[in-house]
Amino acid sequence: MDDLRAGLNEVDCDVLVIGGGTAGPMAAYRARKKNPNAKVILLEKANVKRSGAISMGMDGLNNAVIPGHSTPEQYTKEITIANDGICDQAAVYKYAQNCYSIIEELDQFGIRFQKDENGEYDVKKVHHIGTYVLPMPNGDTVKKALYRQLRRARVLISNRYMATRLLTGQSGRVAGTIAVNTRTGEFLVIRAKAVIMCMGAAGRLGLPTSGYLYGTYENPTNSGEGYAMAYHAGAKLANLECFQINPLIKDYNGPACAYVAGPFGGYTANSKNERFIECDYWSGQMMQEFYNELQSGKGPVFLKLNHLHKDTADHIEHILHTVERPTRGRFHEQRGTKYADKMIEMHISEIGFCSGHSASGVYVDEFARTTVPGLYAAGDMASVPHNYMLGAFTNGAIAGEHAIDFADEVDFEEFDETAISLEQERVLAPTQRDDGLPPNQIEYKIRRLVNDYLQPPKVTAKYELCQERLAEVREDMNTQMMARDAHELMRCMEVASILDCADMAAFASLYRTESRWGLYHWRSDYPDSNDEDWKCHVLLSKQDDAMTCEKHPVAPYIIPIAEDEKDAYYKQRITAQA
Amino acid sequence: MVFEPFEDESDFELLADKLGEDDPAVRRVAVMDLADTADPEAIPLIASTVKDESPEVRLQAAIALGEFDGLATATALCLLLQDTDNRVIQAATDSLSELKDPASAEPMLDLTSHDNAKVREGALLGLKQLRRPDAMANGIEAMKDPVPAVRIQAVGVVGYLKAEEALPALIASCKDADPEVRRTAVGALAFSRSSHAKDALLVALADEHWAVREIAAEVLGKHSEGLDGQKLMPLLDDPYWQVRVKAVRSLGKLRVVEAVDKIGSQLDEVTSNLRKEAAAALGEIAEKSALPYLEKLVDDPDPDVRKNVRWALGRIG
Amino acid sequence: MPLANTPTSVPVVVDDEKCIADKGCTVCVDVCPLDVLRISDLTGKAYMKYDECWYCMPCEADCPTDAVTVNIPYLLR
Repeated sequence: MDDLRAGLNEVDCDVLVIGGGTAGPMAAYRARKKNPNAKVILLEKANVKRSGAISMGMDGLNNAVIPGHSTPEQYTKEITIANDGICDQAAVYKYAQNCYSIIEELDQFGIRFQKDENGEYDVKKVHHIGTYVLPMPNGDTVKKALYRQLRRARVLISNRYMATRLLTGQSGRVAGTIAVNTRTGEFLVIRAKAVIMCMGAAGRLGLPTSGYLYGTYENPTNSGEGYAMAYHAGAKLANLECFQINPLIKDYNGPACAYVAGPFGGYTANSKNERFIECDYWSGQMMQEFYNELQSGKGPVFLKLNHLHKDTADHIEHILHTVERPTRGRFHEQRGTKYADKMIEMHISEIGFCSGHSASGVYVDEFARTTVPGLYAAGDMASVPHNYMLGAFTNGAIAGEHAIDFADEVDFEEFDETAISLEQERVLAPTQRDDGLPPNQIEYKIRRLVNDYLQPPKVTAKYELCQERLAEVREDMNTQMMARDAHELMRCMEVASILDCADMAAFASLYRTESRWGLYHWRSDYPDSNDEDWKCHVLLSKQDDAMTCEKHPVAPYIIPIAEDEKDAYYKQRITAQA
Repeated sequence: MVFEPFEDESDFELLADKLGEDDPAVRRVAVMDLADTADPEAIPLIASTVKDESPEVRLQAAIALGEFDGLATATALCLLLQDTDNRVIQAATDSLSELKDPASAEPMLDLTSHDNAKVREGALLGLKQLRRPDAMANGIEAMKDPVPAVRIQAVGVVGYLKAEEALPALIASCKDADPEVRRTAVGALAFSRSSHAKDALLVALADEHWAVREIAAEVLGKHSEGLDGQKLMPLLDDPYWQVRVKAVRSLGKLRVVEAVDKIGSQLDEVTSNLRKEAAAALGEIAEKSALPYLEKLVDDPDPDVRKNVRWALGRIG
Repeated sequence: MPLANTPTSVPVVVDDEKCIADKGCTVCVDVCPLDVLRISDLTGKAYMKYDECWYCMPCEADCPTDAVTVNIPYLLR
């Protein structure tokens, strides 16, 4: 294993799904279900059994729109407001209308959600405006159940292939992809009538405070290939300046999941034991409050459960330590921290792109279509904001069903065959050098620069310096990066994506000369929001081989938001008199 | 050079041969590979190992069968549920609870009065998920089981069926000696709108265990018709704030005007979750007499409390 | 410029006594999202070849013989 071999294989299919994490399996499954005669391939860099953000499962849904507890209209309003109004509602509304049927389908797959003693979904109340939290006590079975359904549906699964570039035709339509085997370096060319990208967040962009390259908030396999590949294929990417930054357990760097503890009475507190978060929803506003508290004399910030009954605290601890990131229990055990006794120190994550938690993603409409014909995107890498796991499943399903119909109508797109040999040459370049820089060193340098210069608060002069440094690193990468085996070659390709994402993060942030979305896009030299000029999307794309940005209007709202409804949020956010 | 880019198609002949190997580790790996196929053709092959001499192979079979469904799968799992090795029993229990096909219930129905309590528990857990009405009799019978863990699952089977005719049995379980059985039974009464259920819930408000009082207070909040909400008021003096939170919530939902002063007194609590819920409940009741209580808390140190106070003040207007 | 070998203490530990990789099991190697485990040509047992670990645990959770332990990487501990 790992020894490089020469090889090239070509296959074709109706629908190709790239990425077997959360959205991808659902897209492939629904495409096959809708047209059982179609050939559907699911390509995965790791192994579908345990890949992606939910490799070990998930402990709950925090955006479940369940009849009787909340309505699609309510949810759409909330997401619009949480996103400072910059939101194409059609996709959010469609998600909200469809997600309950997805919950029922997942339940049939064997993914069990918390039920009361009558077997009804046990939705937890968090606040007045809507109720969206549905715990998943057996959430560790998610991937297993998905894999089982894929096998039963006879989806063709291709593990350990990393897609490196999309193929496009003369008309600009997508024609397929080129992938490289991560254990042999052999190439696979897949021609497809439609391609759905479900390649996750760009989670290896910033460097975690621990300094460990792989100690990221996101699964580090999610290194931003989706963003980079979409960019190089000419797709537009939306609001990349709206970074993902999340509240985490310090050092462990896993999610604190205060929303899981919330219904039981747990909350985020400062060192004076006081709740301080004014914002209801996980958003840039909330992260700004978190950041301010960390910087103030009242920091650090903690997850507080030690005021609860011991049974309750132990119960929450048990949920949090068994699902999503189960080594969390091991981390606390080593430090001797019990949730029932002691508050748990929290911190903020490194930056990344992830629409799942913020709004940075490949621009898609309500059918998950990107701006490239035949190319779809779903999950953390697509621009539907605050989407989380259930959004990935739901939009994956929408993408799968739309793509299979699209594929039925068209023939394969012709493309220039020389693209294949050119891409092989690009990918294999690091293997042609027997002296040079290993990918881990280049990666460390890029991500260290991201932390030094790109983390909010965003300062123009620092951003411009960063662009200079990153250009130097790019030169090193192009001329000196070296791989000794297929595994290192995979890391080299990831480094290229990480660098592309860092460039995009800097470029998009400089373009939007205002502050918005709280901490996500806090520009200290433009500290105020400017609705007049900037209440719009920023779309980044490649034009004539250069990065460009453009303004794009927000689609007219389907669910109007009255001024006093905005107030319903903000009025409650009045701060205490000192 | 051409290579195969897709996951291997299943070679059942080869895997069947491996199941005949002397080395138990090889047989075990074969069982895992059979599970991976997700092909029903693998079921009889895996089922052929339920009497394997190696407990590890049987354990793997119990895990593997969780990937399948239907009568044949359930029959094999029910044999593994009666294994001598506790790990096998646990894995069989877990896999039984994964089954969805109603036909899977057949072999489980025969095991709810088995000699071994672990077997009874596993069979009932499997039956609960399947919600077959003909499992009701088994459930009701098992609610008298000597082992509390079995009774909990039995209440689960009956509770999931949501049938009025099972009410007497569920109400009887609300007085069970074991608090977890009582808690489950009280929770299971949520579906019923009958006065018997309501009476049993009111009795449960005085249960000696806080978790039973907590769920009783919560469930009563869903019983709006014909309930004298004032009966929840004594719970506002409960020593456990968790119970008081649920009582406050339900009093708010039921809009019990008489409770305003007692809820107002909860606003002095140290636990901010309680202050928050009390403010919300006063908003739901929306009585002018709550104003002085709420106004005191406009500057509460907890933002969540302040938000709820604002909301409540807005409702009272 | 030649490359150095910088040592790191790896988080994933395999108990060779329990590991049945030599009987054809490849579960831990298959499920690792970062593909950092390999089966040793020398011993026939699984081991961590690359220190690129998300301490996510599929290798430990899915190992049929409980041979794998995932520790928290030292830098985070």
